[in-house]
Amino acid sequence: MGVAKYTKNEKGQITDVELQSGIHVKTFYGPEDLERVGFSYEKDLADPGQYPFTRAIHPQGYRSRAWTTRQYTGFGTPYETNERFKLMIANGQTGLNVAFDLPTQMGYDSDDPIAEGEVGRVGMAVDSLRDFEVAFRDINLAEIGTGLTINAVASIMLAMYQAAAEKYGYDPKVISATPQNDILKEMIGRGAWIFPVEPAVKLVGDVIEYSIKALPKTNPVSVCGYHIRESGATPAQEIAFAFLIANAYIDNVLARGYDIDEFVGRFSFNLNVFGNLWEQIAKFRAARKLWARNLKEKYNVKKTSNMFLRGLFGGGGFGLTKAQPQNNIMRGAYYALAAALGGAQTIALCSYDEAYTIPTPESAVISLRTLQLLMDEVGMRDTVDPLAGSYFIETLTKEMEAKIEEESEKIEKMGGIIPAVATGYIQRLVSRQAYEFEKGVQSGEFLKVGVNIYTEGESKEVELHRYNVKTAEKQIRELKRVKRERNQRDVKRTLEALEKATKAGENVMPFLVDCCRAYATVGEMTKIFRDVFGEFEEPGLV
Amino acid sequence: MKAKAIKVLIAKPGLDGHDRGAKVVAHALMEAGMEVIYTGLHKTVDDIIRIALQEDVDVVGLSIMSGAHVPIARKYMQKARDAGIDDKMVVIGGVIPAKDIPQLKKIGISGVFPGGTPFLDIVRFIRDNLTHA
Amino acid sequence: MTSLVEKILNGDEKSAARLISKVEEENSGAYTALSRLLPHTGKANVLGITGPPGAGKSTLAGRLAVAFADSGRNVGVIATDPTSIHTRGAFLGDRLRMKNAEKKKIFIRSMAHRGYPGGLAKAAAGAMYVLEGLGKDVIIFESVGAGQSEKGLFLLCDTIITVFTGDYGDEIQLLKAGLTEIGDILVVNKADKPGAEEAKKDLEAFSSRVNTPGDWHVPVLLTRADSGEGIEVLTDAIKRHWRFVAESGKKEQKKKEKLGLLFIALLKEEFWQRTQKRLKKNRLFKDVLSDVRSGKTDPYSAMQKVLDSLGTTNI
Repeated sequence: MGVAKYTKNEKGQITDVELQSGIHVKTFYGPEDLERVGFSYEKDLADPGQYPFTRAIHPQGYRSRAWTTRQYTGFGTPYETNERFKLMIANGQTGLNVAFDLPTQMGYDSDDPIAEGEVGRVGMAVDSLRDFEVAFRDINLAEIGTGLTINAVASIMLAMYQAAAEKYGYDPKVISATPQNDILKEMIGRGAWIFPVEPAVKLVGDVIEYSIKALPKTNPVSVCGYHIRESGATPAQEIAFAFLIANAYIDNVLARGYDIDEFVGRFSFNLNVFGNLWEQIAKFRAARKLWARNLKEKYNVKKTSNMFLRGLFGGGGFGLTKAQPQNNIMRGAYYALAAALGGAQTIALCSYDEAYTIPTPESAVISLRTLQLLMDEVGMRDTVDPLAGSYFIETLTKEMEAKIEEESEKIEKMGGIIPAVATGYIQRLVSRQAYEFEKGVQSGEFLKVGVNIYTEGESKEVELHRYNVKTAEKQIRELKRVKRERNQRDVKRTLEALEKATKAGENVMPFLVDCCRAYATVGEMTKIFRDVFGEFEEPGLV
Repeated sequence: MKAKAIKVLIAKPGLDGHDRGAKVVAHALMEAGMEVIYTGLHKTVDDIIRIALQEDVDVVGLSIMSGAHVPIARKYMQKARDAGIDDKMVVIGGVIPAKDIPQLKKIGISGVFPGGTPFLDIVRFIRDNLTHA
Repeated sequence: MTSLVEKILNGDEKSAARLISKVEEENSGAYTALSRLLPHTGKANVLGITGPPGAGKSTLAGRLAVAFADSGRNVGVIATDPTSIHTRGAFLGDRLRMKNAEKKKIFIRSMAHRGYPGGLAKAAAGAMYVLEGLGKDVIIFESVGAGQSEKGLFLLCDTIITVFTGDYGDEIQLLKAGLTEIGDILVVNKADKPGAEEAKKDLEAFSSRVNTPGDWHVPVLLTRADSGEGIEVLTDAIKRHWRFVAESGKKEQKKKEKLGLLFIALLKEEFWQRTQKRLKKNRLFKDVLSDVRSGKTDPYSAMQKVLDSLGTTNI
């Protein structure tokens, strides 16, 4: 059933439940369980807004501020994406979350031969500042926060966002961007890496350092347990690996001479929601506690608000099915419930047709409505952390905490997260688990509605977003025009300065902003990095 | 003469980096007794053709999640013909809507396995449809 | 097969790939083709890379392939991987670690061990001759890993590099297993890892004991296959060793030895194949086999009985 392992007796009664993280669930829980796990109100729970923030980072929880809704949006040319942004905002969405097409994510221009067939397909195509000017036209960048879902070239996109905002007259100090900027997780899952581990992590550090200095409202990194989980990690591993990755970025910035309290408060996390409902809720609660403890005890963070785990909990893409696609709407609702009961600051849901392609406007709005319904109709804002004190949830949260620490220690013992990623240890571990899990789904050990239970034979196809083949032509035409019209001397000068800074190991961000202002292209900037840094050598499968 | 082991190339064409499916299928084929080569990410069609040719594989499996399966399949088959290796079986897995399957078959793709296809079906298809000279 | 040989000699990769498959399948037609290729071979420099799993053999092989290709050599790589005993399947994963080599005009071929009755060396020898026929003048073998089964493979090589790392505690075990006996150059890879320097010192102490005066002095080198550090020094050492084997006459001596051993291996295999075919039809053999299985006869006297009946002249 679902993702956990169930043992039943001959009468069909459940005799054991083993959650993915390896925790066994009992028939019922009582005070003795809290005693067994050593639960203490002050140490493990405390009031909302109090260390270790297991219940919530704010004392008022969702009473003072509901979660931000931030659907992952972007496709085709910037013109189409701009329209979709405005549609979502008109429907009450409170943040943006930009999806980029694969050539952009990999640092290629739309006219690069390697981009053929991919321009504007899984996200918005971006070549130069002109594209950002179009995408964010008529959007109030002082009010809305924007997630930039990009990693290998997050630095370039953040620079471009600043340049675009300036063009529209905003002070960089007021804009709030959240570049994903988590390259280590790309190396574990999702695969949009370009550069080797060392320079790639250095670029992450550059973005963080630059934000400290120039972009005070920007959250320079969103560490994604999300994709690690999608690649086959257990919920405990998801958190353990995400925290180790976050620590690697912290260490990079500390080594530059900054004080931890100057920047760590702006870290955020993107965590996944599919799986066993209770395990998810316990995961989020344990994660909040462990992150605060990590910062306080390991890094000696002083300021309370810097210990907050700010999270976008959502997605759940791996939980969706192609069979009986409308079921994904219900799945999304339960996933959102897990996120809300887990205390998310931001929630985004995969839309029901995302098992096929990027969402249609209708399905994107349904996801948004799912979240609004939960927020405004059924009472999710009534009280903070409604499950607190449950014998089961508190026990599970403690057990989850121990599991996460156990997974984390395994990696530390073998030398830390960077070698574990560079050598492919984690990749092999999660892909082996993914295989075992898939076998379980195929054998019916893990029940999936519409897939191996309550099936309906031939599945109905949903109305899909259609990829517009004219997109590439249009985008390339636009790119050619920009290249023709821009001041070539400025382009040359800024790119040369970028190259020099890159070779000298300086922080590349100010140079990137200059390049963007001069309408240098994503491909031109990335090529400099590729030439100086080289490329990541993907570790083997075995 | 020795019974031939089935040699399969699992390839990730294009820029998409979602490799969970490709790796999972690689595991399954290996457990079914096949010899599996995985190309790794971000391969061009030319890269894949060259590997398939040098390794003289029996089957080329293209894993495509980005939605670009039709243009990629078309490009692959064209270049395979040019290289003289269009006699190798080509199968596709990934996010493939049912309505695209006839078109892929017409291009010359032998088998299409959308996400969630049981491993056994893939293994059986390869074994049943492979004709050794 | 004739046209296949001609095509290979004209540099056609596809034909070479196909012939290697036929060699792997132990197709008798492949032997005819190989005997036609053989006069065109014997000049290439052959390099073998061995060492424990995880030492970075593939990455190193990839780096060396690129280094030789950049210096104008025509390079072929044959990478071998173990076959699973349980499933008979295999992951041929080495190629993935030779990303840079893929970009050059380097021919890379992965081979599964397949538990060859005639030993991996026989298929590898065939593949080597095919690559030489294709015009490759540097051939790099990457082995499955340490072990006795490597010995046959390394008879084919002029130079053997054994790769170690500092972060493995297995060095001593490997020394005991006799691995360094077949190393002409010892490499401590992952030189940035703790323990690399110590491993180098240990290996130097060891190699100085096995060196005989006037003979080749086994160098111990530090490399970082991931970044390419130390590769230049390594290629220099390899070239030095090639000169050494050529000038000392060892290459010629080994070549003769190699051909003799290959002949014996082929003959052994063929004898057995033919005998097996005959035995399958032999009534006495079947009876004796079932007697052995049921315990009526012991395997030793059973063997004697079958050999006697077959006679010694007409195998």
